[in-house]
Amino acid sequence: MPQIFRPSADTIARILLVSILIGPFVAIGIGYAVTQSPYITGQNITMKQPVPFSHAHHAGDLAIDCRYCHAGVEKSAFAGMPPTTTCMTCHSQLYTNEPMLAPVRQSLAERKPIHWQRVHRLPDYVYFDHSIHVAKGIGCTTCHGPVGTMPLMRQHESLTMGWCLSCHRDPTPYLRPENQVFNSDWKPPADQREQGKKLLAHYLIETRHLTDCSTCHR
Amino acid sequence: MSSVTPKQKAAALSTVELDRRAALKLLASGMALSLASCGKPPEEIVPYVDQPERLVPGIPLKFATTLDMAGYGRGVIAISVEGRPIKVEGNPRHPASLGATDVFAEASVLTLYDPDRSKAPRGPKGIASWDAFGDALRTQMEKEKTRAGAGLRLVSGRITSPTLLRQIDGLLKQFPQARWYRYEPVSDDNERDGAIMAFGRPLTPLPRIGEAAVILSLNADFLGSGPHQIANGRAFASARKADAGAEQFLRLYVAEPVLSLTGANADHWLAIRPELIRNIALTVAATLRGEKANAPLPPEAEHFAAAAAADLKSKAGKAIVMAGRAQPAELHALCHTINNMLHAPVDLIEPVDPAGKHGEALHAFADDLSNSRIETLLILDANPAYDAPRELGFKAGFPKLPFSAHLGLYDDETAAICHWHLPLSHTLESWSDLRAFDGTASIVQPLIRPLYDTRSMHQVLALLGGALSPVSYDLVRETWQPRGGDDFDSWWRQVLHDGVIAQTRHAAVSAQPRTIAIKPAASPAESVLVLAPDPSIWDGRHANNAWLQECPKPLSKETWGNTLSVSSRDAQQLRCATGDVITLKYKDVSVEAVVRVTANQAGGAYATTLGYGRRKAGAIGDGAGFDVYPLRGIDEPWLMSGVTIAKTGKTRDIPTTQGQFRLEGETTQFLPRVSLAALAAGLKGPPFEEGPKPTLYPPVQNDDPYAWAMVIDTAACIGCNACLVACQAENNVPVVGPDQILRSRVMHWLRVDTYTDANGGIQGFQPVPCMHCEHAPCEPVCPVAASVHDREGLNVQVYNRCIGTRFCQSNCPYKVRRFNWFGYADDEEYANLGEPPIKAQHNPDVTVRGRGVMEKCTYCVQRISRARRNAEKENRTIKEGEVVTACQAACPTRAISFGNLKDARAHVNALRKEKRHYELLGHLGTRPRTTYLARLINPNPDFGEAKS
Repeated sequence: MPQIFRPSADTIARILLVSILIGPFVAIGIGYAVTQSPYITGQNITMKQPVPFSHAHHAGDLAIDCRYCHAGVEKSAFAGMPPTTTCMTCHSQLYTNEPMLAPVRQSLAERKPIHWQRVHRLPDYVYFDHSIHVAKGIGCTTCHGPVGTMPLMRQHESLTMGWCLSCHRDPTPYLRPENQVFNSDWKPPADQREQGKKLLAHYLIETRHLTDCSTCHR
Repeated sequence: MSSVTPKQKAAALSTVELDRRAALKLLASGMALSLASCGKPPEEIVPYVDQPERLVPGIPLKFATTLDMAGYGRGVIAISVEGRPIKVEGNPRHPASLGATDVFAEASVLTLYDPDRSKAPRGPKGIASWDAFGDALRTQMEKEKTRAGAGLRLVSGRITSPTLLRQIDGLLKQFPQARWYRYEPVSDDNERDGAIMAFGRPLTPLPRIGEAAVILSLNADFLGSGPHQIANGRAFASARKADAGAEQFLRLYVAEPVLSLTGANADHWLAIRPELIRNIALTVAATLRGEKANAPLPPEAEHFAAAAAADLKSKAGKAIVMAGRAQPAELHALCHTINNMLHAPVDLIEPVDPAGKHGEALHAFADDLSNSRIETLLILDANPAYDAPRELGFKAGFPKLPFSAHLGLYDDETAAICHWHLPLSHTLESWSDLRAFDGTASIVQPLIRPLYDTRSMHQVLALLGGALSPVSYDLVRETWQPRGGDDFDSWWRQVLHDGVIAQTRHAAVSAQPRTIAIKPAASPAESVLVLAPDPSIWDGRHANNAWLQECPKPLSKETWGNTLSVSSRDAQQLRCATGDVITLKYKDVSVEAVVRVTANQAGGAYATTLGYGRRKAGAIGDGAGFDVYPLRGIDEPWLMSGVTIAKTGKTRDIPTTQGQFRLEGETTQFLPRVSLAALAAGLKGPPFEEGPKPTLYPPVQNDDPYAWAMVIDTAACIGCNACLVACQAENNVPVVGPDQILRSRVMHWLRVDTYTDANGGIQGFQPVPCMHCEHAPCEPVCPVAASVHDREGLNVQVYNRCIGTRFCQSNCPYKVRRFNWFGYADDEEYANLGEPPIKAQHNPDVTVRGRGVMEKCTYCVQRISRARRNAEKENRTIKEGEVVTACQAACPTRAISFGNLKDARAHVNALRKEKRHYELLGHLGTRPRTTYLARLINPNPDFGEAKS
């Protein structure tokens, strides 16, 4: 009678034993990696918009202030999307026959709003407020990335809860002086840690409450 | 009334035979699909084309407007989010609101979004257009013109709107032979007749309750639902302030057949047959004159009357006697005489509702109907097919009418038998004006464009007058043009901003009452049925509002229906118990009713409320409770002598919210009642405790600037439920339906507990939100840390962590946690509450909770957060009064205070130092942040042995 197990069976058995031990960790690791991957977070994915609006051109080249279009950012939780009339303040004079802008002209003519695809999306149980972040020295580009270089808007950060908390636990690396909040070219100075601590005191930021559940979830 | 959702029905119907192979295939494809469908569906941002000025998306706007309560105005501030009204709060400038609301005002936003509202006109041949109605109406009105409107009749409820009255007046001038019938199922005919008897003209008494030291209420439910409730409640609480001193502290005597909300707040309460109440008034009148009364009363009642009379006499100038709407006109007249003798603080004003008696209008209407004098009938937001008395013969006379049209929010019982049904715009959708009970006028301004193809009453009346495309806005402005003066536009803007038109309150007039001789009543032999408007749905017009249907009635805690309350003595004789179905017979009409046995009722009197048993109210209101309108007569709307009861042998469960949360033990511990004398002597022993209990938990101490706390003054709480519905509106609290209530699955974040003494008498009310315990028993038992504390002392529930073990609910000694057994707000809504329009009401700042999740009161954390962000943007801390919780804002008596314990000047700190302050179940060492002030009572020391 031949042997049931050949010598190689030892190797297979060892590999199996090791993989039983390692397998769950690998599976959890892969699962975690998937949840953090752009497939889930939507990071760096560009979407098809009705008008291929270029932040690189408007905010970067022309240096139009963020608040010109996102007018609610200092007052409201929602930064605000420009109504068609805001686009038409310039485009009634410039590029008036550009085919790319046809949906904007059509929107104004038919009084029908433009349907933009949302790029930065938070879950419904997160109550993010733009105005308080802007008021406390968090710049637009801290979360939205180098918007002035993006021809098409994309989500620069992962927007996961862990990402939010990294700043809520210690905002000092990100705090800017008031006059730099809307500066899309802002770079942290070499002594940002020192500056951040000063700004923390200056803005009266109470970091301990920032990690309470009720700060963002209601 | 079934709790089975359409989805469940569909699932039950589609049971398909499956073999093993097919089942495995489906399983595999289901797994594959679920893996592939992890991505979020795309979401759009749709900005405005032309953004309205002042509107910043994400920031709610507030507008002053006026809501209608049985025809009277009640000023409110409506909160609008991106153009959707989602909540109303009181308007402090308006005399009928004083900054507070009632259940009906709070629930009005739900009616606005009710999917059952009628959406388009319906003609004799089905769905029609307003143009088609206009054409039909013009033809009919041409005919009416030739006979000066001899066949034209208008039927409406109470109308106080100056613009509507002007329009109706114009119409009656245009068609001199036309008639307008105005009736309300809850009429004030007796009060009006009594005033005519006493003064020769229909003056309306407005008691200044805030100045009173003694009030004797003869079946007058002045704290119960109605247009006066908020103002009366506020005045009542202000007259019963702890620091007022025994001389000034209001003492309330109530004599009535059935316990009312007013009776539940009384210091001395007497159950007495309604017919005998006049004898009490006669006793009081005789005592005041110094004569001997000749009105026989049972010994207990005689004692009560003598004590009340002596008390009234000693406090003359600060004593008031009031009679209720069910009491005959003579008694009202006698009360005017007594008040005159007492120099009572009562203002008399010219009537705000100018039309005559409701009963007379109904008689004339019945006469016209039976004599076929009506050719063109327009019913303006009234429902006579449901709520008109039996002798009107409405249903018999109706088919003979050549042209009938019904204007209303719903395609209801009356609409069903009219040729035309016209959808009416909701008050939050239209321009109008209204007067409050004291005559103060205010403008109704729309918060939203009509959701459907509806018109306002102004537009329909103008159509009748021959206008082609009338605009309510212009009609209302036209009315006020003379008053506004030269700079009308600025005047108008100011009036809209204030929500009240200055100096429109009816001035008090002076009048001397004549002395009326009334005979004492003999003890009645027959049983009597006592009717009253319902505290939740009034006369039935709010029947399709799910918040109101599920709002527990203040005294019985019933929901979703009415019951016939029977005194325990009668129940013993009749051998019936709570839940028995009986037949209630009056004259030749009988109605099946469910019995509820109560101790708080006079023997021989049965009682129930109006408004139930609707047949065409909508998905929510249909079939709930039983209809007692068929028993009602035009001249006997409230008391029916000679009713009989017969058992049917059937029983029915009554969906109540009371039993399941009653905390066993001594009610004196949970809702202590202290007299002024005891308070002055100092309160000792539990629940009034000196120091904190020892604990193994680490002390909660931090240097954060906030520690939120709530103090509820049970002495001020009148039990009106406004807080409960306000909480529901603010916090997206779902409705569960009657079947779930029967399974004790109510979702209200805030409940109002009633406590009873050994005899079943109501001891008072106690609103119970989450206690936000510093040592919260719910927190250590949560396996996933979904129940945690934040640094400001809030016990927060993290919905996304919650896995639904319900350990926290079991461990909560206050039973304030609510579990979503089903997706009450998440795809398994009751009846039609899952339809899209309802979603527009949701507060965007509060998560809509899913199935399997625990939830509870959050202290309106969204309001705290908004205040904090606003304060931090201005680099300051939150000021006292900046955070007002929804329940606090709604409370008519300001029983609820909320604030920051770290602020030494905060009102809550002052209240926590009061002698009456106590913690609910404080001995458990939970250290609740919600605490209470003991209920204050002021019994007459000379009252003696008799039952108080």
